[in-house]
Amino acid sequence: VSVSPQLRGELEDLYADYSEVIDSGALERWPGFFAEPCLYRIVSKENYDRGLPLSLMHCEGAGMLKDRAFASQKLNVYGPRVWRHMVNNVRARDDGTLIAVQANFAVFETLHDHHTGILATGCYLDKVVRTDAGLKFREKLCVYDSALIPGSIVAPL
Amino acid sequence: VPRTWPREGDSRAPYFIYTDEGIYRRELERIFEGPTWSYVALECELPRPGDYKRSFIGETSVFVLRGEDGAVRGFLNRCAHRGVEIYQHDTGNVGRAIICPYHQWNYHLDGRLKGLPFRKGVKGVGGMPEDFDPLKHGLTPIRVHARRGAIFASLHAATPPFEEYLGEKMLGYYDRVFDGRELRLLGYSRQRLAANWKLMLENIKDTCHASLLHVFFVTFGLFRVDQPSKVRMDDTGLHAALISERGRQELNDGTKQMQSFKADLRLQDPRLLDTVREFPGDATVVMHTFWPNLILQQQSNTLATRQIVPRGPDRFDLHWTFFGYATDDEAMTARRLRQANLMGPGGFVSMDDGEVIARAQAGFRKAADAAGVVEMGGRDYADCDHMVTDVALRAFYRGYRKVMDL
Repeated sequence: VSVSPQLRGELEDLYADYSEVIDSGALERWPGFFAEPCLYRIVSKENYDRGLPLSLMHCEGAGMLKDRAFASQKLNVYGPRVWRHMVNNVRARDDGTLIAVQANFAVFETLHDHHTGILATGCYLDKVVRTDAGLKFREKLCVYDSALIPGSIVAPL
Repeated sequence: VPRTWPREGDSRAPYFIYTDEGIYRRELERIFEGPTWSYVALECELPRPGDYKRSFIGETSVFVLRGEDGAVRGFLNRCAHRGVEIYQHDTGNVGRAIICPYHQWNYHLDGRLKGLPFRKGVKGVGGMPEDFDPLKHGLTPIRVHARRGAIFASLHAATPPFEEYLGEKMLGYYDRVFDGRELRLLGYSRQRLAANWKLMLENIKDTCHASLLHVFFVTFGLFRVDQPSKVRMDDTGLHAALISERGRQELNDGTKQMQSFKADLRLQDPRLLDTVREFPGDATVVMHTFWPNLILQQQSNTLATRQIVPRGPDRFDLHWTFFGYATDDEAMTARRLRQANLMGPGGFVSMDDGEVIARAQAGFRKAADAAGVVEMGGRDYADCDHMVTDVALRAFYRGYRKVMDL
């Protein structure tokens, strides 16, 4: 079933807030977008299309989300950079319990001393649920297009 | 510009070897196109007849293919007619024939030219000359050697047999991971790094950095200088295995010198490091560097080949192929997939490496006359039973200089 204008508005806010949290570096707030039990994965289009199970990042549950966020903020060593998410072509289907959302993403990466480049483009294939605290991700699957990543992916997409 | 190695010898690594265009061209010629075996694929990537994998030896595009007879053959990825790259996908199945899209020259699965359209002309005109001999126009074969699940290829006629090339000692470590069990492909990651290709091999041979740069390794004891460790090399010094055992998260003479040791750091979800012993012996990690293009990773339960594809003096591609064994149960596969978070372009550990070697490359700019200091553990080349040493790097430079006449 297609979704109401109101739900569509809420979804747009969800994706805008999600993007802002990552791009601003406030990754300690990133696990808050998920509802337990949850699954977060970054998968190449190649692995996804061929049914190969390997992820580039793979978090099952809030604990792993928190570990990933903390590592990215405090433990990993990488050069200074700015990220900018663009999310569009949001489409949603609501079956009453789960809202299946598909959206395109582009993440621009600006490394210090370099021009802005494209880190990744791809598609979110998400499952969103209603909770007392608003819409949350039950599952977030980030399928990225390029078989060749420029450098490293240092934070969640 | 003539380049000479610093007079201190193998305990110095001059920066021109990472930046000089002429050095790079000589590397492609003498190393990748020379008498070496390059890793190209896993057998589990081409299980059925007609399955192919496109791969690279240095910058040369090649493909390996399983024939109708089950044998794996290798060819330059280049049509014998006009040089068109035949396969652009990394993997696939060719069907009954290898066909170039441009003029549809088609080849048997063993590389012989089968036929080509208009060979006898059309309506009595045109066509190939009478004396055109299809046998002389097959795909260019390359030497291929498959051993226990992994496939290597060579562009050079004088490359010694694979087992001799690797040597008995290195073969022992190779066979520890490739132990004859059928492999199961888990997936790929690929990244392009702004650094010289050798820095990736050196990063693995540089055992000390793991205890300093990587908070994850250090804190959780996955690879750390205070643990029982060994460095083993072959006679050329070009291949090596770094062997170690997982240690505890404890403050000791080693960890107290490591700024990145976090005594109070706890994982919110310890399943990441829920490792099980699966190989004989005490070692929980063996990192292999097989000259010239393969890092074979066995860190706890995460297994991968990392194939190095050079792309000029200042960049290379790293192709990761993660795998397990066909006999793995669901729990083991889940474990491997969780532990894969440590590795790859977004790995808790490998991310640091990719970033830091690019930073090294940035440091080499306009520093062709300067050199790195490689004196940890002394100035020798002998196998040793700890990892507070740069010995695998010195042995590597010694072997490299011989190949390169530097």
